[in-house]
Amino acid sequence: MVVALLAFVVLPAAFAVGLAFVRWDLLRGTVEFVGIENFATEIAGGELGRGVLVTVGYAVLTVPASLAGGLLVALGIDALSHGRAFWRAVYFLPVAATLVAMSIVWRWMFRPDTGVVDATVGRLTGLRDWLNSLELALPAVAAVGTWQQVGFVAVVYLAALTAVPRDVLEAARLDGAGALSRFRHVTWPALGPATVFAVVLTSTAALRVYDTIRTMTDGGPAGSTESLAFLLWRRGVAYFDVGAGATLTVALLVLAGLVTLLQVRVLGRGLERKGTR
Amino acid sequence: MRARWSGQVAVHLALATGAVVVLAPFAIMLLTSFAPAEDVVAGRIVPTSLTLDNYTRALQDLPILRYYANGAVVTVLIFAGQVLLAVPAAYALARLRFRGSQLGTGLVLACIMIPQQVTAIPLYVALRQLGLVNTYAALVLPFVGSAFGVYLLRQFFLTIPTAVFDAARLDGAGTFSVLVRIVLPMARPALVAFGIFSFVGHWNDYFWPSFVLTDDDLATIPFGIVSFLGTDAGTDYGPQMATATLSVLPLLAGYLLAQRQFIHGIALSGHSD
Repeated sequence: MVVALLAFVVLPAAFAVGLAFVRWDLLRGTVEFVGIENFATEIAGGELGRGVLVTVGYAVLTVPASLAGGLLVALGIDALSHGRAFWRAVYFLPVAATLVAMSIVWRWMFRPDTGVVDATVGRLTGLRDWLNSLELALPAVAAVGTWQQVGFVAVVYLAALTAVPRDVLEAARLDGAGALSRFRHVTWPALGPATVFAVVLTSTAALRVYDTIRTMTDGGPAGSTESLAFLLWRRGVAYFDVGAGATLTVALLVLAGLVTLLQVRVLGRGLERKGTR
Repeated sequence: MRARWSGQVAVHLALATGAVVVLAPFAIMLLTSFAPAEDVVAGRIVPTSLTLDNYTRALQDLPILRYYANGAVVTVLIFAGQVLLAVPAAYALARLRFRGSQLGTGLVLACIMIPQQVTAIPLYVALRQLGLVNTYAALVLPFVGSAFGVYLLRQFFLTIPTAVFDAARLDGAGTFSVLVRIVLPMARPALVAFGIFSFVGHWNDYFWPSFVLTDDDLATIPFGIVSFLGTDAGTDYGPQMATATLSVLPLLAGYLLAQRQFIHGIALSGHSD
């Protein structure tokens, strides 16, 4: 097992960092050390910066929306006396569906003018032809990503809501605390670990965004939806440019490291606090 | 009492409103897949008549049965490999004392944190050098060592009282027979959940196949649909919706039949700590 992990995870990850410093011609089979040249060209070409910006932008668009949506759904379902399993199943449906297939459906829904989105949201707001717009293409992809994972976040919150102390809620209610203040002072603090977890989960998903982009926009228009995972594929596989692809991998690894750091620091702090009480 | 009742109705209504957005793509996909071409072109959501044209046209260019079969082969091989490697590893990390067991657990945790995307290019280069592009091996091998699977099973094994293992040992059972006769049967719930998690993840995965596949002979569903988009029928929305419907059908059927296990399995990563 350790061997398998070393062979398929640790070594490749180390290898990826190494690859960023060489020029490897896959067709001719030559390898030469080029130092930071790959980074220099990737940064000068604007691809690395754009990839990071698009990926982080996608995270900014999807993480808060998914958390808010998931929390609302979970609170709604938790308040029900009947039909909880039914609504949970409905909201979880997109998580189980093949994302590539559903992206094709969404692409059709985002079709200019006659598509469902333009016919409804477009008519109300004047925002139309999302997938061909420099500003709206990324939000469109982010909307699909959010649609897909809200049910997942809801399930995480639903599990956490069972741990909210009912007696404290009841006591607060008897003391005359309103629904909002009960949420703020009792429910929300109890959901802390679940929130951190949902942030980590959705940010990690954001670092991986690929299926929707390949099917809905193919990185366009004008590179406005080129995420790191997408560029990784294009550089490495479509262009056979392994060195440049590896620099994108390094960027991805750094972002993944930041997410892990956030998780360790916030969770660690929370645990410490619990420990000193 | 009355206020409670109306509160419940209000929550149901609010959830139903949200559900419209959640379910709209599925409804539109289904309706459009049965709609005649002129309705599709006009962008009519509710078709004026129903037809199977989109399906017959799609199936001319879409070897969907092959994609299903490939998906089944790949997911089954991956899961078999994962169980074969993860059960002994998890058991060792949870119950055996040996030098480096702490380090082993640390390594497993570190590997969970590394996204698949990070290892994609190096693995692709290695598999290419080995001449394995466009093989089942390329689709399966990178996933058989599942750090997440090991961690999950380890946590599960830690919950089994040591007395169970001690009793078996006193009866003269060796490590292997403890593993097969006691650990495996007890681990069934954890294995079922992990199985669904693994199956759904790899059945739906498009990222990795798009690295190691160059034609659709070995295509799993997601790769297959994307290649279908490049065919004649694939450029029309009607056949596209028929294809999408056929693609999500097996998984959604499984989901509707066993939704509790599905939610538990897929949400596993949400309960891993």
